[in-house]
Amino acid sequence: MTDLRSDLHLASMTHCPSCKSEVKPRVENAAFPFCTERCRAVDLGRWFLGAYRVPGPPAPSDEQRPEPDEADEPER
Amino acid sequence: MEPQQEKHNSGTLASGPEYSAESIKVLEGLEAVRKRPHMYIRGVGTEGLHHLVYEVVDNAVDEALAGHASTVEMTIHTNGSLSVQDDGRGIPVGPHPTESMDTLDVVMTKLHSGGKFDQGSYKVSGGLHGVGVSCVNALSEYLEVEVYRNGKLYQQRYECGVPTGKVVQAGPTSLRGTKVTFKPDATVLEATEFNFDILSNRMRELAFLNPGLHITMRDERTGKSHDFKYEGGIVAYVELLNTNKTLIFPQPISVRGELNGSEVHVALQWNDGFDEKVFSFANNINTVDGGPHLIGFKSALTRTVIKYGEASNAWKEIKESPSGEDIREGLTCVVSVKIPGAQFEGNLKGKLVNTEAKTLVEQMVGDKLSSYWEENPAIAKRVMLKVADAARARIAARKARETVRRKGALDSASLPGKLADCQERDPSKCELYIVEGDSAGGSAKQGRDRRTQAILPLRGKILNVEKARFDRMLASESIATMITAIGTGIHDEFAIDKLRYHKIILMTDADVDGSHIRTLLLTFFYRQMHDVIAHTLADGALKHHLYIAQPPLYRVSKGKKELYLKDDAALDAHLLTLGTETAVVRGQGVEKLSGEKLKGLLDIVLQYRRLLGRVDKRHDSRVVDAALSGTLLDAQMLKGSDALPAQVTALTDALKKAHPNETLVVLVVQDTVPGASVPGQSVPGARVPGASKILVSLGHDGAMRDTQLDEAFLAGKDFSELKRLQKEFSGLGKAPYELTSAAGVHDAQNPIELVDMVKKAASKGFEIQRYKGLGEMNPEQLWETTMDPARRTLLEVHADDVAEAELMFTTLMGDAVEPRRDFIEKHALDVTNLDI
Repeated sequence: MTDLRSDLHLASMTHCPSCKSEVKPRVENAAFPFCTERCRAVDLGRWFLGAYRVPGPPAPSDEQRPEPDEADEPER
Repeated sequence: MEPQQEKHNSGTLASGPEYSAESIKVLEGLEAVRKRPHMYIRGVGTEGLHHLVYEVVDNAVDEALAGHASTVEMTIHTNGSLSVQDDGRGIPVGPHPTESMDTLDVVMTKLHSGGKFDQGSYKVSGGLHGVGVSCVNALSEYLEVEVYRNGKLYQQRYECGVPTGKVVQAGPTSLRGTKVTFKPDATVLEATEFNFDILSNRMRELAFLNPGLHITMRDERTGKSHDFKYEGGIVAYVELLNTNKTLIFPQPISVRGELNGSEVHVALQWNDGFDEKVFSFANNINTVDGGPHLIGFKSALTRTVIKYGEASNAWKEIKESPSGEDIREGLTCVVSVKIPGAQFEGNLKGKLVNTEAKTLVEQMVGDKLSSYWEENPAIAKRVMLKVADAARARIAARKARETVRRKGALDSASLPGKLADCQERDPSKCELYIVEGDSAGGSAKQGRDRRTQAILPLRGKILNVEKARFDRMLASESIATMITAIGTGIHDEFAIDKLRYHKIILMTDADVDGSHIRTLLLTFFYRQMHDVIAHTLADGALKHHLYIAQPPLYRVSKGKKELYLKDDAALDAHLLTLGTETAVVRGQGVEKLSGEKLKGLLDIVLQYRRLLGRVDKRHDSRVVDAALSGTLLDAQMLKGSDALPAQVTALTDALKKAHPNETLVVLVVQDTVPGASVPGQSVPGARVPGASKILVSLGHDGAMRDTQLDEAFLAGKDFSELKRLQKEFSGLGKAPYELTSAAGVHDAQNPIELVDMVKKAASKGFEIQRYKGLGEMNPEQLWETTMDPARRTLLEVHADDVAEAELMFTTLMGDAVEPRRDFIEKHALDVTNLDI
């Protein structure tokens, strides 16, 4: 977890996910975390266009699903 | 014209004998203005008051428009009066050809008088709606006019619109023009205090609209003054409006033309923002409600951009033509027309009526813009790209909203079929479980409390992107279903008070795949339904609605007794507690250990092993462990210490002992780095020995695994943390360890083996089941462990947490394949344990 957090803090959260421009804080920006409503709309469009994907399960040829942390595998 | 005029007495209205028919007409006219001022000016408030100034100023500007004047001076006086002076021809003085009074009095006292209705005098007039200066006169406590004409000065004074005497000639002058000073009448007007800033804005606007016209302003009450003159006209106006904006191209486009006495001038420029700023003027009047000239401009702009874009294939990707709004996104533009006989309508007279202006502007701007695009392909290309971006965004958003809206109104009849709703209708008592996968959804539906718990199974669509792996995404159908079920709508239609469930609980598998889906969902909420994660109540408190369910990873059972444990750490802790109840450990050089003390030390060993597991992604944990437990290696030693060879030997021995059957190669290499071998004597290209590195190759599953122990690693955070933990559990004594437990007496060669033995002994007689997915739990188990409000634990999601998830998502989503794969590998473990 420590690694992840430090990595995350390297990148700034003040940039619009759509257009990467600076984003005003939420108190003064109804479109937060976007810079504008338009950028939020573009993002919604992308969700619906299926543009956002995350890595899923391995393909069936790989029968074994890799254990993320074998060292922690408990004794049975 | 004869300046002397004594023949006609416009008359003091009170003097009975002189009361002529003409005077009555005048009285009727100006009395009407005083009785119903709102019919002539914009009310009796601030706006009406300043309207009076504009009437006077417009007369001066008309002189400039006609080419007779170049300067307008406005002065606000300390006594509440205001004067406007121009250097034009001066209002005509002398007997009026048809009225039996002086021409100056006719202009100042008769409604709808003046030269503006005679197109011969003023080709183009900006005069406001024809009520003219007589209206100002009628509403003034007093009005004094000075005319500088033909080398002579003429003066006249009016009170409430009535002349106090005859026009008098007051001597020679070298000036030319007209000066009008008036003090608004507080008995008719509610507002009588001039606002410098309001006036200044209008004066600046006039200066922009009339290139070269010099307008000065002075406020004697405060000493403030302004001086406006713009040779660039409305081009300078557009530049001012775009101050501090990032421009698509540097110079505004200027389009101008003249036809049959009408003038059209348009200045336009795009910035990278999304606001549309288009101002239109007709004869200097700000047509806030537009009119045919504005329609003509928009139509010409849309037509030429679409046409040029088609020819240059700019709309190929978006597959439809951009709309006028797409084209005007980020546009700053001023449209100014000057046409004879302009007429205005609307509440504030802010709309041009003249329909011929549409064709005039449309044709002129259309022709010139078309040529402009052709002649400036680089600028045209930037504009087309900007417009295509705008169109793409609009189309995507529209499709998304249509999909949501197609789901219908948010009554229960049209709720998505997949949703198993609850019976309760009070949202504050309702919960929505968003469950990944159909089988888990089925279990949740059977296991839930149907009074208050609704279940929405969500299908993550799987796409085979590469041979080795599938990608997951949320099917658009699923997103639409989710939005409908939640009930708030989205974007401008979003209303948090329509939230149908006050707890929305994400329930995904406790594996990497599940955490990816969860990341996807969290990101969706964070970006698109932010208020569901956190919104501020009327009393200022933050309210959270999004939660993460905590399904167990393990089930530990013995006979009828069973226990659910949420993760590896919980299982370890449980087994340690159980194991140390009976275990006794004897290490070398320390007392026998048992109970709480033993448990504490073994717990540190577990922490050590978990960290070692993480380090193993980059460095073989067997080598790292050997370096920590069998040597005194540190970063300093790599920088040329005599102690190094002995430690390398120790490392080799430790590895041989721990892995006797594996092939082992240990090398020490020393890099050279640029530098001087003798301090102070630098020789170009000279190199000196740098820090050493230890390269270890150790057999693993029939192959060799290489690990590099270098300065950076040994000086790094992970290595020093491992060292610290190792020091902490050194209380166990040295190996070997003798463990006495329920399973008998055993020897352990190292602390890790010892922990495993304790756990193994503890788990004897227990059945430990590791859940790979929610689907492996039956409905009862799911209820008991994850859904029963009395027994479950829920993690409340806060925006800060999600900001991190969203960032992780951004990385997971990245276009570049390599960094993404690296990231996934590096954080595979962290992702599983992501503690949001």
